[in-house]
Amino acid sequence: MSATDILLWGVLPYVVTAVFIVGHVWRYRYDQFGWTTRSSEVYEKKLLRWGSPMFHVGVLMVAGGHVVGLLIPREWLYAIGIDEHAYHLGATWLGTFAAVLTVVGLTILIYRRRRTRSVFLATTRMDKLMFVALGAAIGFGTAATVVEQIIGGGYNYRETISPWIRSVMYFQPDIALMDGIPVLFTLHVVSGLLLIALWPFTRLVHVWSAPVGYLVRPYIVYRSRDAQQGMREGRPGWDPVETRSRKR
Amino acid sequence: MTDAATRTPGLDNSLVDALVRVGSKLHKGKVSEDLRSVFVEGGRTGDAFYRDRWSHDKIVRSTHGVNCTGSCSWKVYVKNGIITWETQQTDYPSVGPGSPEYEPRGCPRGAAFSWYTYSPTRIRYPYVRGTLLHAYRAAKARTGDPVLAWAEVTGDPETARAYKAARGKGGLVRASWEEAAEIVAAAHVHTAKEFGPDRIAGFSPIPAMSMVSHGAGARFVHLLGGTMLSFYDWYADLPVASPQVFGDQTDVPESADWWNASYLMMWGSNVPVTRTPDAHFMTEARYRGQKVVTVSPDYADNTKFADDWMAPHPGTDGALAMAMGHVILTEFHVARRTERFIDYMQRFTDAPNLVRLRRRGDAWVPGKFLTAADLPTPGTDRDAAFQTAVLDADGSVKIPGGSLGHRFDPAKAGTWNLELGDLDPRLSVMDLAGWDGQAVELDLPRFDVAPGDPEKDGAVPGTTERGRHTGGAGAVRRGVPVVAVGDELVTTVYDLMLAQYGVGREGLPGTWPTGYDDPSTPGTPAWQEEITSVPAELAARIGREFAQNAEDSGGRSMILMGAGTNHWFHSDTIYRTFLALTAMTGCQGVNGGGWAHYVGQEKVRPLTGYTQYANALDWQRPPRNMIGTAFWYLATDQWRYDGLPADALASPLAEGTFADRTTADCLVESAQRGWMPSYPTFSRNPLDLVDEARAAGKEPAQHVVDSLADGSLRFACEDPDDPANFPRVLNIWRANILGSSGKGNEYFLKHLLGTDSAVLADEAGPDRRPTTMTWRDEAPRGKLDLLVTSDFRMTSTTLFSDVVLPAATWYEKYDLSSTDMHPFIHSFNPAINPPWQTRTDFDIYATLSKEVSRLAVGHLEARSDLVAVPLMHDTPDELAYPRGEVPVQAERVPGQTMPKLVVVERDYTKIAEKWSALGPLTDRLGMVTKSVAFDPTPEVAELGVRNGLVAGNGVGAGRPRLETAQQACEMILALSGTTNGRLAVQGFKDIERRTGTRIAHLAEDNEGQRITFERTQSAPVAVLTSPEWSGSEHGGRRYTAFAINVEHARPWHTLTGRQHFYLDHDWISELGESLPVYRPPLDMHRLFGDARVGSTAASGMRASEGHAEVAVRYLTPHSKWSIHSEYQDNLFMLALSRGGPTIWMSPQDAAKIGVTDNDWIESYNRNGVVVARAIVSHRMPEGTVYMYHAKDRTVDVPRSETSGLRGGIHNSLTRVLLKPSHLVGGYAQLSFAFNYLGPTGNQRDEVTTIRRRSQEVTY
Repeated sequence: MSATDILLWGVLPYVVTAVFIVGHVWRYRYDQFGWTTRSSEVYEKKLLRWGSPMFHVGVLMVAGGHVVGLLIPREWLYAIGIDEHAYHLGATWLGTFAAVLTVVGLTILIYRRRRTRSVFLATTRMDKLMFVALGAAIGFGTAATVVEQIIGGGYNYRETISPWIRSVMYFQPDIALMDGIPVLFTLHVVSGLLLIALWPFTRLVHVWSAPVGYLVRPYIVYRSRDAQQGMREGRPGWDPVETRSRKR
Repeated sequence: MTDAATRTPGLDNSLVDALVRVGSKLHKGKVSEDLRSVFVEGGRTGDAFYRDRWSHDKIVRSTHGVNCTGSCSWKVYVKNGIITWETQQTDYPSVGPGSPEYEPRGCPRGAAFSWYTYSPTRIRYPYVRGTLLHAYRAAKARTGDPVLAWAEVTGDPETARAYKAARGKGGLVRASWEEAAEIVAAAHVHTAKEFGPDRIAGFSPIPAMSMVSHGAGARFVHLLGGTMLSFYDWYADLPVASPQVFGDQTDVPESADWWNASYLMMWGSNVPVTRTPDAHFMTEARYRGQKVVTVSPDYADNTKFADDWMAPHPGTDGALAMAMGHVILTEFHVARRTERFIDYMQRFTDAPNLVRLRRRGDAWVPGKFLTAADLPTPGTDRDAAFQTAVLDADGSVKIPGGSLGHRFDPAKAGTWNLELGDLDPRLSVMDLAGWDGQAVELDLPRFDVAPGDPEKDGAVPGTTERGRHTGGAGAVRRGVPVVAVGDELVTTVYDLMLAQYGVGREGLPGTWPTGYDDPSTPGTPAWQEEITSVPAELAARIGREFAQNAEDSGGRSMILMGAGTNHWFHSDTIYRTFLALTAMTGCQGVNGGGWAHYVGQEKVRPLTGYTQYANALDWQRPPRNMIGTAFWYLATDQWRYDGLPADALASPLAEGTFADRTTADCLVESAQRGWMPSYPTFSRNPLDLVDEARAAGKEPAQHVVDSLADGSLRFACEDPDDPANFPRVLNIWRANILGSSGKGNEYFLKHLLGTDSAVLADEAGPDRRPTTMTWRDEAPRGKLDLLVTSDFRMTSTTLFSDVVLPAATWYEKYDLSSTDMHPFIHSFNPAINPPWQTRTDFDIYATLSKEVSRLAVGHLEARSDLVAVPLMHDTPDELAYPRGEVPVQAERVPGQTMPKLVVVERDYTKIAEKWSALGPLTDRLGMVTKSVAFDPTPEVAELGVRNGLVAGNGVGAGRPRLETAQQACEMILALSGTTNGRLAVQGFKDIERRTGTRIAHLAEDNEGQRITFERTQSAPVAVLTSPEWSGSEHGGRRYTAFAINVEHARPWHTLTGRQHFYLDHDWISELGESLPVYRPPLDMHRLFGDARVGSTAASGMRASEGHAEVAVRYLTPHSKWSIHSEYQDNLFMLALSRGGPTIWMSPQDAAKIGVTDNDWIESYNRNGVVVARAIVSHRMPEGTVYMYHAKDRTVDVPRSETSGLRGGIHNSLTRVLLKPSHLVGGYAQLSFAFNYLGPTGNQRDEVTTIRRRSQEVTY
């Protein structure tokens, strides 16, 4: 167990988590007006119509796969009848489908961002950094899957990486579990951690404010005043001023 | 697709409907039946965002004092003590039903102003040029006295040269307010003591844009006995035709009156660009059926609103107007006698007045007006020589009332009006039943021919390019009907006009056009087409429409005119042809009709009170007010380069008055005769002149007359290069003369300031030098000892100043604003206190007056000052030169043949006390505006209560306080008829005593009205009808000029009391301008050897070898992105345009020199150099370029290849040219009043050569 191992698998996850949480609090308090997808739809639509749904559907599937594969102990899956073979079939086929969607979608989006002048001009330095981290995490993840799971014999991360993550979450990091994992998985995990650290400072914050409600909401929202009037909390000892609402 | 008619209301499709229906179960709130809306309660914390954005500490009313006729009121927002932005005020009083409102007003320039408050260009501290400051400190350490220290610094040639040569080269260092004020005050005290108070000058233009800020400084200068310089004529904004025709400075309709016009010509005025907040009246009136015509050589912004566009060659507008007049006179006066026009001409113009004819060779020429004094039985009235005559219907000669001869003679009180009674003046001699058919041939001058042989016509030798030039003179022979009066043959002005316009009638001899299509003789549409390029049919049609509309609408044809036609050397002739159109169609004085001349923010509506304050008339009279153009012409030594032979401008029929004289000689004569003011006046200190006289036991005036006679004393203008005659101290505030109005900028730099300049011209050769002036071989450099400028931003002027004082902005002070565009008066108020070490102009001059009073102890104390006063308009001085005859100056009689000489007592230690209190003369002597007398005794008492009285036992003790700007505002408002109904009524009653008619009722309904400063702070307030102006707001009508004259028979302030077509002054006859006439732009090649327009010959200018060059006409119109030099350096406005110096040129001219859009070019002529970027645009006509005026040196001005210096400003290519007719004085309406009459600082006739330069520029 080298110092590097301790730093990577015992320290880095907590640093990243702390940055992630504190960063979001900071961003929410000081930069609410910058809390945005930085949508560039107004500049370019044709490529976006393909790239964006592909990428987003793909990446949501990837996220789901990571939850199933990393956070849920395999014993739990066995208990509901998903044995090792079934899991691998699902992970390989669904995972490959999701990876293709994600990678192709991301490729379209990056191509679009670089080649559409107005979109490129609307790209910040933070955006570029985020694209590098995101691309790295996805790239190494895909490479690891292709090299180790499809070409290679199949690496059982559910015996090493998954329990390590859960041990990190119990605040009892079992660093030894990560001993000797394939290098592509190492790069994937580290780049993933970096992406999480960057998260609060990039457009990725839009994940937390995805307008899901729009799906089921009327177009126009009328908000009438509630009991509180003005910006100040009601004060004890003062009756609220009653203003009758007009009938609708 | 679902059929829209059958589908129930819902969203895009049934899937979405279902989703929302499900959603309605999932979230709070009530979803509407059509599923399109949801109603929720609360959740409005996000409102804080916009609520906070729109919550402020305070919102303050102010405006922009920027010489913009908009004079818009603004809301200034302050948040956390910081000015955040401004928005437009919306509370202008309504103009009433049936018309658009003044609200909204504003433009992007005004909306960008708050940027300046905290901008990098803001001047935050007092600055003094380091070289000067060190020398001063050393001298003060040695002498221990600031005044002696200043004397030492300026007296030592080496020190003086060093700090003067450093001007404009940086090195300004911070100084304390105490030290800066001490230096400035010491310079004033030393100059008054050593050289004379009239060697101190002040330049601050346009009082209307901030009356108290202007007045505070002017009051300081006048209390010292200093010279305030005019600006209206200097800017060439003064239409000299206005005093010539109307006897009035400028009086025009408010913009809401455009709505009343049914035919609107925009002639040289680009309304959307230069009158932005008012342009909507024009666009709205179009929906009411108004026809809009534009006249502009380029495709100007206003052209897109036009139904017809006429594009004459620049400066040829007079020919177009002459042709329109030809059509109107032919069709509406001669072919058919339009009753309304004839009646108007009889009553309100000089058309029926009789003119004596004079024999000249084998023909006749028009001479002088026939007056009562010229009749076979001469009139016996005191002023009979000023009573003009008409022919009654029975053929008898009658003297109608209302002429100048009825105005000032107490015996004629009650006859100065336009009532004709039973008199029925005939317009034409032909109209007399008893006319016997007698007619004579007149010679009338014309200036549209190609100049003849230069050897003969006196042009520059060696230029024999016959036919390539304009402005050659000839004569045309046409007949007029005449009748004999005693020994004299007379005709009417109307007959002269028909002859001048080439409108022939049966039975008259002479050369007449065969029709509109005859180009061979002046006046016809075909003739003008050859000059202007406007198609003859179009010119004829517009002229016909203009008149037809005037007839049908009762005079609602309007000509909206401005700088495009007013900034030419011969603009007075151009404007007279315009004004003739409005008079011959009866439009002047009618709502929706007449002239509408708009240039700067001229109209100080509360005129009388302002004049009292600014001229310090409450303490001493008269003030020294100087014609700016002449002052700069002499001070900057442009006269040394000019040498324009006055004869070159004269009529071919002239008597030779101007032979062998330059225009500079005319200026000297004008000063000597008391026609125009001249300060510095004499070759010695006027304080010393009184001392000398008293020592000799003589009256000071007599001493001066004697000394002039024996040659021991001279007029300073005869030797402006004598160090005794230099202007020594120049105060500039609210102005940017070196970035904006300084015609001949490079001459300013060279001779007035003594620093680097790009003057490329040679001085005039011995044959072209003034004969009445002293020529010193070595031209002085750096005449000025002190240039002190107050401003809130760094400008071209502050960069050259010795002392820069940090001023407050328009959002940091109290003041008043008014304009001719709208009838309201409104206020400036401080949104914040002046930040850093800035002070308001009011406080700056409070400081300086205290400092001068302190330093005067032991140096000046109480002195007597001899003030030379010119013959003033609207006073009996107008009677000094009967018939406008200019006899050889034999005897010197002050007030008759030379200026009046008045002794004024000044106690220099009491300047501050006087400055801050309302002096006793206001109520003791009363107030006079345009000869209307006001007695403000009750108002002065009331001001004492409102402002409080000065305590103590100084000179001001017991007088109303003027210690704050608000108190000064109250004084101005209390003492003016426009803001005080009682004074308006009292003034009208004073007029009634002279006219014998009833006029005061126009103000009586407002007699109890008082507009106080407090009222102007709450909202703009409409002014009251007042005798200070010629229009009426009575009953809520829109203001139009001369409505009172037309409706209430009040005479114009002219010789005949009517509008003048004809001017009979000797000098005007010599110039051939007795009648409206077309004069082309000056031919700068013929007169000065400049390049010919269109020439692509090599100029031989330095660094021009190998470059293609083209010579073009150089015009400097007003910009869309700035108001003069303001806003062109503003970050917001820079974002809207290319920014920096640019020259607009046509693709054709650009192609000639290989220039493409945005290339760097150099533009040069004898006056200097400009480096700019080219804007190549189809909007421009070939042969003409525009450089928008007043691009300051502070934005993107690189070094020039031609001069090696930083490329100049727009005025680096211009210079002053004097026109003798502007110098005439002492005769009826041709008499001086400040900013009323004087030589214009015109600049439109210049020609420049342009070439592409290296695209690599360095700074």
